Amino acid sequence: MRLTKSLPNFMMLTPFMLLFGAFFLYPILSGFGYSFFDWDGIHEPAFVGLKNYEMILNARSSRIAATNLLTYVMITVPLGVSVAFGLALLVDHFQGFWARFFRSVYFVPVVMPLFLAATIWRWIYAPNFGVLNLILGWFGFENVRFLTDPDVMLYSLIGVDVWVSAGFNMVILLAGLKDIPRHYYEAARLDGANKLQEIRYVTLPMIRPVMIFVVTYSFISALQVFDIPWLLTGSSFLDYGGRRDALLFPVMDMMGRGFGRLGFGQAAAYGFLLTLVIVAITATIFAFQRKKENG
Amino acid sequence: MSSLEITNAHKNYGAVEVLKDICLDVSSGEFVVFVGPSGCGKSTLLRMIAGLEEISGGEIRLDGQVINDTDPARRGVAMVFQSYALYPHMTVAENMGFTLKLSRAPKREITEKVDQAARILQLEKLLDRKPGQLSGGQKQRVAIGRAIVREPKVFLFDEPLSNLDAELRIQMRAELALLHKRLGSTMIYVTHDQVEAMTLADKMVVMNGGVIQQVGRPLDLYDDPDNMFVAGFVGTPRMNFLEAEVAGLNAGTVEARLSGSDSGLRFAHGGAGLSVGQKVTLGIRPEHIALSDHGGSATFPLSIGFVEELGESTCVHGEIPGGARVTVLSHGARFADDRQVHTCFDPAKVLVFDQQGRRVRSG
Amino acid sequence: MSIALLPRMSRITPWSVAKWTLAICIAIVAAFPIWWMFNVVFADPGQPVSLNPRLYPTSFSSGISNIQRVLTETGYLRAYYVSVAYTILTIAGVLLVSSMAAFEFALFDFPGKRILFAVVMLSLMVPMAATLIPTYLLVARLGWLNTMQGLVLPGLASAFGLFMLTQFMKSIPREMLEAARLDGASHFQLYWHVALPLSRTALVTLAILTFMKTWGNFIWPLVVSQKPEMFTVSQVVSLFNSPLSHTTVDVVMTANLLAAVPPLIFFLIFQRRIVEGIASTGSKG
Repeated sequence: MRLTKSLPNFMMLTPFMLLFGAFFLYPILSGFGYSFFDWDGIHEPAFVGLKNYEMILNARSSRIAATNLLTYVMITVPLGVSVAFGLALLVDHFQGFWARFFRSVYFVPVVMPLFLAATIWRWIYAPNFGVLNLILGWFGFENVRFLTDPDVMLYSLIGVDVWVSAGFNMVILLAGLKDIPRHYYEAARLDGANKLQEIRYVTLPMIRPVMIFVVTYSFISALQVFDIPWLLTGSSFLDYGGRRDALLFPVMDMMGRGFGRLGFGQAAAYGFLLTLVIVAITATIFAFQRKKENG
Repeated sequence: MSSLEITNAHKNYGAVEVLKDICLDVSSGEFVVFVGPSGCGKSTLLRMIAGLEEISGGEIRLDGQVINDTDPARRGVAMVFQSYALYPHMTVAENMGFTLKLSRAPKREITEKVDQAARILQLEKLLDRKPGQLSGGQKQRVAIGRAIVREPKVFLFDEPLSNLDAELRIQMRAELALLHKRLGSTMIYVTHDQVEAMTLADKMVVMNGGVIQQVGRPLDLYDDPDNMFVAGFVGTPRMNFLEAEVAGLNAGTVEARLSGSDSGLRFAHGGAGLSVGQKVTLGIRPEHIALSDHGGSATFPLSIGFVEELGESTCVHGEIPGGARVTVLSHGARFADDRQVHTCFDPAKVLVFDQQGRRVRSG
Repeated sequence: MSIALLPRMSRITPWSVAKWTLAICIAIVAAFPIWWMFNVVFADPGQPVSLNPRLYPTSFSSGISNIQRVLTETGYLRAYYVSVAYTILTIAGVLLVSSMAAFEFALFDFPGKRILFAVVMLSLMVPMAATLIPTYLLVARLGWLNTMQGLVLPGLASAFGLFMLTQFMKSIPREMLEAARLDGASHFQLYWHVALPLSRTALVTLAILTFMKTWGNFIWPLVVSQKPEMFTVSQVVSLFNSPLSHTTVDVVMTANLLAAVPPLIFFLIFQRRIVEGIASTGSKG
């Protein structure tokens, strides 16, 4: 009786739920299944148990990718968020037209698709004739091999990354700043706080929830980094990760195993492991936040 | 002929019963007002008639047809909502004609009916505006216009004036009364404002706690309430209630002693249903108490607490011996605070209620 | 007007000088790469970089001929069509499918509602990496590789879009829907005539965000479109990038510039909506 009454509701839900089931739920479950098979996508899959997981965990490339990722995340997330927060504070100190002007200019890189940002920077970073080396040359610096020197490559990537993401996080933080009621600042000023103390004792505590969102979001996207390092290096399934795999990251490794070496079972296992790590980290951040709020 | 009949209707949300055993007849062309405090179930009852709430039990008939399970759009009712519920993305004309558009009426018919309703409500000049550009009173008129276009058997109004300011409310009240006269259709109106109810209703339905307390013409309810709730709810300032004990029964009069004092009060009552020593509550309206400077028999001294001077009338609040608070409405006289005056209760206007709050009628 | 826009000169302090210098320097860093891309396109390719470091545009005609060359001599124009179709179909699909579902989740009660919504919301936590390979395998099995449906359909059930529209539609007054029901609107008509028009702002915001995400999507087309006929703009740009392609910088930057035009135009028109849309995702998350 109640179900027939809800028929119109279900009919409206059907398109979304069908697509969601087919292209989200089913892939997740089937991917978990594939992860126990050796499969090249052409021949019959062969059950191999946990061998895929073993291979991934023991492979040199995945260890390099994991190390790279760890270094990358530890630098790019705090740096990117700090830069974004600095930008937000800066823009917040302008009013009217100029506030909007600087906000827009800082936001422009966000509008660029990642593949575009990567390609532009690839050429800016180019050796000898690249405009960055050219400018460094004016100041008497040596030519830097941004994309081929394994000690520099990671930082080149982080540069692009911050350039792209700072505006995005800035806009969110700026909205958070605007939501802080003015009278807190007025009260702080009456209590004799200077500008730095205002930031320390009013802005930071008040913006905490927004900050947590920004950090969490940056974390999740940094863990899945793919487009930019892919395009800064070889840009194909046969050649990626750059010299000495200095820009090899897990999603790239997964893609390479899947499509470059036709190991879809391994790739599925890789995806599952990555998901575990990312969900675990997200859950930890949330749990940590809860605990802090309650305690 | 009865156009709307409700028999033994009740409504519960899970274990909570919000309407209990509602029986009501509404005649064709009648203006019926459901009135009561918030949460009394009046809106729920209206929404059950509209078909927006399911009926848990009982029957609702419209023109003899049971409409319990009829789709709201096919019941032949139209509703004016408290928030107006005008579609903000449509013009006034589109708002009013939306129902016809949905039923695929020809364009010409839509324009005709919308124009006609607009004429009745003097909305002709506003037809191309969007609701956002209208004042509260104009929005209200459009909402009524939308109902008129549907040519319903019954108009339903859910607190339609409560979002308007006081002056506009009085004006719209008059317009609604005129509209009812002009259209002659059945209207059911929900409000928590008893003044609105008194002024508009042919038939007033006072509700409390999911139960109909009394149904009748406004003045009948005012003069002859069935219970303390109706007596207290209808009329401003509120009726005075005094705790008392029956002291003596004579032919045609009853003597009562007010609790907490030696003062006695004699009033007209047949005595039926009363016995000596019985605890009762006496009710008397503020305008049925006279004030004078001199004491005398059957008067109580009143120590004035504060005075509200409204110009054409003066409302005096104070205490009589025994500590009961009394409000007196007097016309013309001026009184200073902190003065002692004497009150004289009109013995013909005293109502008696028993311990359960039920009226004990004269007999 | 212009006077009002100038900073008040009377208040020059070391702090304000520092503030303005910093703001302008960062603005240059933010805008320079895009400016530089533009200059490379509109520069005579014959001039060596050492003489003309492409700090400003120098040759309008070479820019035009660059654009002509990229559009006629490479598969770029075709890729552009594919990208436009992919983007438009995705936007239309996401808006339709998620607004229909959001309408139900926001405004009605039905058995299983809470569980369904919770499952969809949980999916927001699952990274793209988890579904990419198995979704590819599914699309391959359906025979949809190198097809438009293979490109578009898997991206339509947007949990983010559903969440955003549900939040928005919750603010639609119940009385509005009841009025429409009394006016004789069917369930679908409530959605079409009342809920959709009332959600216009949210729909526009979602459309813009979906546009930016789809136009810039790199990894999914990379996986699904393997034949040159179905390449998207992002793939052509990436092909130009690969070491074997021997494409010169002016061609690459021309392709880039053309790919940047739609998002830039969108940004200029919908700047406020985009910024507010992104800002609101922060406060809701």
